[in-house]
Amino acid sequence: MNFMKRAWLNLIAKKGRSLLLILVTGAIMLFVMAGLLIKSAASQAVASAKNSVGATITLTANRQAAFKKMRSSNASSGQPGKRPSLSLDPVKLSTVKQIARLKNVAGYTTTVSAAANAKSFEAISTSSSAQGPAGPGGASSGDITISGVSSTSGSTSFAAGKAKITKGRGLKTSDRGTNNVVIESELATQNSLKVGDTITVKATSGTKKTHSLKIVGIYQAASTAAASMGPGASDPANTIFTSDTLANTLKGSKYKDTADSVVFTVSAPSKVAAVKKQAAKLISSKYSLSLDDQNYQMVKSSMGSVTSFADKVVWLVAIAGTIILALIVILMIRERRYEIGILMAMGESRFKIIAQFFVELFAVLLVGVGIATAGGSYVGGKLADQVVASAATNTSQTAGQVLGSKTGGPAGQAPSGGGPSGQMPGAADAARATQAKQQAKLTVKVTAKAVAILFGLGLAIILLAILAAAAGILRLQPKLILIQ
Amino acid sequence: MLETENLTYWYTNQADYLFQGEHLQFEPGHSYAIVGQSGSGKTTMVSLLAGLDTPKAGTIRIDGQDIAQIGLAHYRRRKVSVVFQAFNLFTYMSALENLMTAMAITKAAHAGDQAFAQAMLQRLGLTDEQMRQNVQRLSGGQQQRVAIARTMVCDAPLVVADEPTGNLDEANTDEVIALFNQIAHEQGKCVIIVTHEPSVAAQCDGVLRLAHRTFTWEKTPAPQLAKKG
Repeated sequence: MNFMKRAWLNLIAKKGRSLLLILVTGAIMLFVMAGLLIKSAASQAVASAKNSVGATITLTANRQAAFKKMRSSNASSGQPGKRPSLSLDPVKLSTVKQIARLKNVAGYTTTVSAAANAKSFEAISTSSSAQGPAGPGGASSGDITISGVSSTSGSTSFAAGKAKITKGRGLKTSDRGTNNVVIESELATQNSLKVGDTITVKATSGTKKTHSLKIVGIYQAASTAAASMGPGASDPANTIFTSDTLANTLKGSKYKDTADSVVFTVSAPSKVAAVKKQAAKLISSKYSLSLDDQNYQMVKSSMGSVTSFADKVVWLVAIAGTIILALIVILMIRERRYEIGILMAMGESRFKIIAQFFVELFAVLLVGVGIATAGGSYVGGKLADQVVASAATNTSQTAGQVLGSKTGGPAGQAPSGGGPSGQMPGAADAARATQAKQQAKLTVKVTAKAVAILFGLGLAIILLAILAAAAGILRLQPKLILIQ
Repeated sequence: MLETENLTYWYTNQADYLFQGEHLQFEPGHSYAIVGQSGSGKTTMVSLLAGLDTPKAGTIRIDGQDIAQIGLAHYRRRKVSVVFQAFNLFTYMSALENLMTAMAITKAAHAGDQAFAQAMLQRLGLTDEQMRQNVQRLSGGQQQRVAIARTMVCDAPLVVADEPTGNLDEANTDEVIALFNQIAHEQGKCVIIVTHEPSVAAQCDGVLRLAHRTFTWEKTPAPQLAKKG
């Protein structure tokens, strides 16, 4: 073990050189560590996104099938001049409950759209909203849009942050079967309404009865909602959130225990396709299922670019570090060729000569890895912030492109995933982009695995450098080494 | 004890050999000087005897064993100790650490015995303080004494020195040669010194001259040590 003592004596005696070597090794290890940590954090973020971002499956009436049915019935009636009527079958809650029992389905929210006319108050009218359009599910037009939900927190507008409760409370599943409603703050201000007040609306379909509604909460819609109105759409302030049962009552008795659309939350986005396949077996061709895992895909895409950057950092620093460290080690060992000659003249084995250099550099590496471990989180965190900011900007741009491509949908039709009538399709995408940005935040933390990988990489670098440097010297006769 | 048989060496061209077919014999308990002009091949000869290089032809035997068969690394570790003009000490160690390291590498009987190493350095005139200092802070004479002490603490029966007094003044030279003779006469080792100084050669028991690519005994310690053939 004398080679270990020699290594120690050398490190102690040449403090300046040892310190420089430690600093260089520490710097290289620090950047490799930062890369490894970013890469690991990005992978963890993707894994976490799989579990936390969530993916949804939306069950709605099959419009394609309905159109096909409309055309065939029109042709068979022998009255080609008659105006065709599209009949969309609402989703039966019994079917919904069957799907909800499937494995990996975490829960569901129902959406029922209806229309009504304000009776005890004035609806907000805009130049383009004198008449609201017919809502999905066959609701007749009215100046008030009724958005029936199983809970406001589960509705897309609230989940995406496009609407928030400012007074009172939101609707909960316990509000089913009640007349409790949540109205928009502008509508409340206009009519001096407050939480606890009762308003009346008249149904525009079914029995066309008047219904008393109790205000339990007031929400504020994002200012962009009005700007994103489609032509002919009712003002977003006229949207009243009710329980799905109340919305069905307003639409008429035949809509009892149905919904326009149901959004199922799948606990693991990776299982979303499998759940959709199983759910498809439970529904008839009158309904259709659509996937919505854009949040997951956005985070995945964002993290993909971060992982790619981290990969490049690791490889570039590892390659550059190997070259720099190898050159330093080669120079250092060549400088010590005379010492090698003396050792060989004494009969020291080549293995032990290499072992001495290895022990010296191993000690340097230990300190270097220590520096990298101590500073890895800080440097990795700073680097990660920059990379994530860049990746999130790209994601927003992509979402913007998606948003632009979706603005051609029919007015008043809720986008996949639901939303109040009148809200433009694509707004949810922007919300998702925001959510993806939040999800894309990396938690850079030094892990035992990263330290082990770094240490292994460092060991490989110094071993290769020592062998490359010493091989040329050790093959020589001691006399030649000492003479040269 | 140490003998060469048909020893031949050349660098690049066989016709320009340094020496050829040399049969030499060195006995323990004596000091030998190899003299000759610069570039004649003296250092090459001691390098071969020390196992630092391999001959082009011929063999070197120690106690009847071919050193090539023993293994040159093993031979250098256990059978021979080398002293150079430039001292060849580990510059990052103290005198004491140099001796301890040499004893450990050569697996000497006293390996790990610091008191033994200290006593040897004291015997060669180094104070406690000097032996614990980095060797680069010692004078040339002191460093050479450390190098000689290194050969004394190791158990190698053969000591080879290449111009060991080249960097020393006259007083130190005499002291060093006296030490080599001490090693030979008191420890019973075979000491071979390459030198260009006649005064050094004169203090050795035997003198071998390399001239015109041939070794010739100028002085022999005993009749049986004369060059064979």
